[in-house]
Amino acid sequence: MSEPANATASQTHTAAASPGAGTIYQPDLVVVEAITDETPDTRTYRLRFKDPEKAASFSFRAGQFGEYSVFGAGESTFCIASPPTRTGYLECTVKAAGKVTGSLREVDVGDTLGFRGPYGNVFPVEEWEGRDLVFIAGGIGLAPVRCVIWNVLDLRDRYGDVTIVYGARSVADLVYKRELEEWAARDDVRLVTTVDPGGETSDWRGEVGYVTPVVERVAPSATNAVAVLCGPPIVVKLTLPVLAALGFADEAVYTTLENRMKCGVGKCGRCNIGSVYVCKDGPVFTAAQIKALPQEF
Amino acid sequence: MSELLLTHEALAALVEELATAGRPAVAPAWAGDAGRAAGAAGAARETEYRAVTDAAELALGERLPRLSLKQFFLPATEVLFSWRRTASEVELVSAPTELPEQVVLGARPCDVAALPIVDAVMNWDYADELWNARRAATVVFSLACGVEDGSCFCDAVFLEPATPRGSDGRLTPVEGGYLVESFTDKGAAFLAAHRGSFAAPPADAGEALRGQAEAFRAAARERVAANLSLDHPRLRDWLDHHFDDPFWASLGPRCHGCGVCTSVCPTCHCFDIVDEPESVGRGVRRRNWDACQTCLFTLHASGHNPRQDQNARFRQRVEHKFLVYPAKFGDVLCTGCGRCSRACPTGQDLAEILAAIDERAADAATGDDRTPAKSSAQPDGEASP
Repeated sequence: MSEPANATASQTHTAAASPGAGTIYQPDLVVVEAITDETPDTRTYRLRFKDPEKAASFSFRAGQFGEYSVFGAGESTFCIASPPTRTGYLECTVKAAGKVTGSLREVDVGDTLGFRGPYGNVFPVEEWEGRDLVFIAGGIGLAPVRCVIWNVLDLRDRYGDVTIVYGARSVADLVYKRELEEWAARDDVRLVTTVDPGGETSDWRGEVGYVTPVVERVAPSATNAVAVLCGPPIVVKLTLPVLAALGFADEAVYTTLENRMKCGVGKCGRCNIGSVYVCKDGPVFTAAQIKALPQEF
Repeated sequence: MSELLLTHEALAALVEELATAGRPAVAPAWAGDAGRAAGAAGAARETEYRAVTDAAELALGERLPRLSLKQFFLPATEVLFSWRRTASEVELVSAPTELPEQVVLGARPCDVAALPIVDAVMNWDYADELWNARRAATVVFSLACGVEDGSCFCDAVFLEPATPRGSDGRLTPVEGGYLVESFTDKGAAFLAAHRGSFAAPPADAGEALRGQAEAFRAAARERVAANLSLDHPRLRDWLDHHFDDPFWASLGPRCHGCGVCTSVCPTCHCFDIVDEPESVGRGVRRRNWDACQTCLFTLHASGHNPRQDQNARFRQRVEHKFLVYPAKFGDVLCTGCGRCSRACPTGQDLAEILAAIDERAADAATGDDRTPAKSSAQPDGEASP
């Protein structure tokens, strides 16, 4: 079959080697360096830019996201799940749910994917220095929180107490199991894991119960503390009032909104909630900001 | 620059000259195959924007084209890049961002005014090279509008039937042809490049022609002003505080969610990005027009949908145009062309809806607000975690 007429060598844009080529919708090429099975349906992909210059110049901050391409299947939006303190690669953690995420299951180490980003705003981790941190996540909502947790742990002496409450439907559905063990073993991290009732195994030694009541039971102190909360919309909606009851000011509670996106750059009109474009004004919001929005997420 | 006269004969010659030069003008034309055959004007009543090669196709000042001018700047589908895979390697080929020159003649001012409105979205922080390339490559002459019908309301959204907004120049119908003005350097350059087509009006007729043009524009302004008037600050304030108002629940039941309102709209710019395999190992990534009125628009992979019903989707359409866009860009995302009302298969009428909201906003402003500002009944169809 003949190539399209416009596929001339001068227009060929390989591995973002020619700066300025392509539009804002054209991704950089990344190679899959490692794939980790997290749960039966969730994997973490470690990616490296093919273009060494891009790899060297790329930087991002905790909370930002990207548009990831599987050529032939399309593009999907995931947070950058690795911390900005670890350079040379980026990671995303993906649950097989749709077309792109399903086709990612077919991807092997060494394959080429696409990445656009980083996009969106950030968790203000510098502002949090000297304060206690409470991380709360449900299911794959640990991915964006994991980025912040490692960011903080890599600069451990700048922060106060670190508490992590993480829950999933079942033991099998807990992501980052090796890292959970690592955090549990550290004496400068308090980790509480929980699984939904019925999701426990016979040797499960964590909590049993939904994330929200476990947060209530753990009752982290709100004094000089910041809370980061990510999970399915229902977990976020139910846990915000619990944090308020524990004394967390709305300005001290951060979450991410995970609306469906396509462009990531404020054009395609899909992610807005009220007058907010989640892709540009978010994805990180404080509870105070969330409360001022129409409850449409 | 003073006004020039473009006679009907000179327009016909200009259309042919542009076509011969390989850049046929985009203009309102009689729709369909019949419309393409010269002389079929009487039979084919629908019009569309199209590159025309023969003046007999022209339908200037006839019925409003079915689709707006948007398709010549944001095509219904366009390639963003193509990809080719060999083993584990992938090669990308960029879409060209140097685009051929376009000439638009006789477009509706409401369609042209939509261009700078969408410019704002396409250029905040990230510049959309494809949109901008088409804008840069195009010179647009609008045609002062005589007002289509009762669905028009440009006057209620800061415009008027002959608004110069977004136009490089304007034609106004007069006896024997059109009076032509240019508003930008680009417009002036076009007139200069085609000076043979544009002549100074005869000395003894100039005053009369200018009078005719002004009378035409004034009559149109008066006609459209009777259709709708809105108090925008009051309207915005009501929208901002009545997200859960029962009014919204009256809109969804008569909406099919077909999205035709968004396709015909000159300012709706939402798009989808999809991959389209062309063969084994190669394909293209496209962007296609999308519609906030469809269920899939906001559906999460998990099955959760932030906009669960048609009420919420219709509210989104109204709020995006009259609250969200104004808050971001200080204008409204609507030019009052009325196409959405005319095209809706269920008779959903934006002018009527805006009038109804304006009335509620007036009541709220005078304290006669019969609906609570916040309803406690926020439906939440989520299952427990």
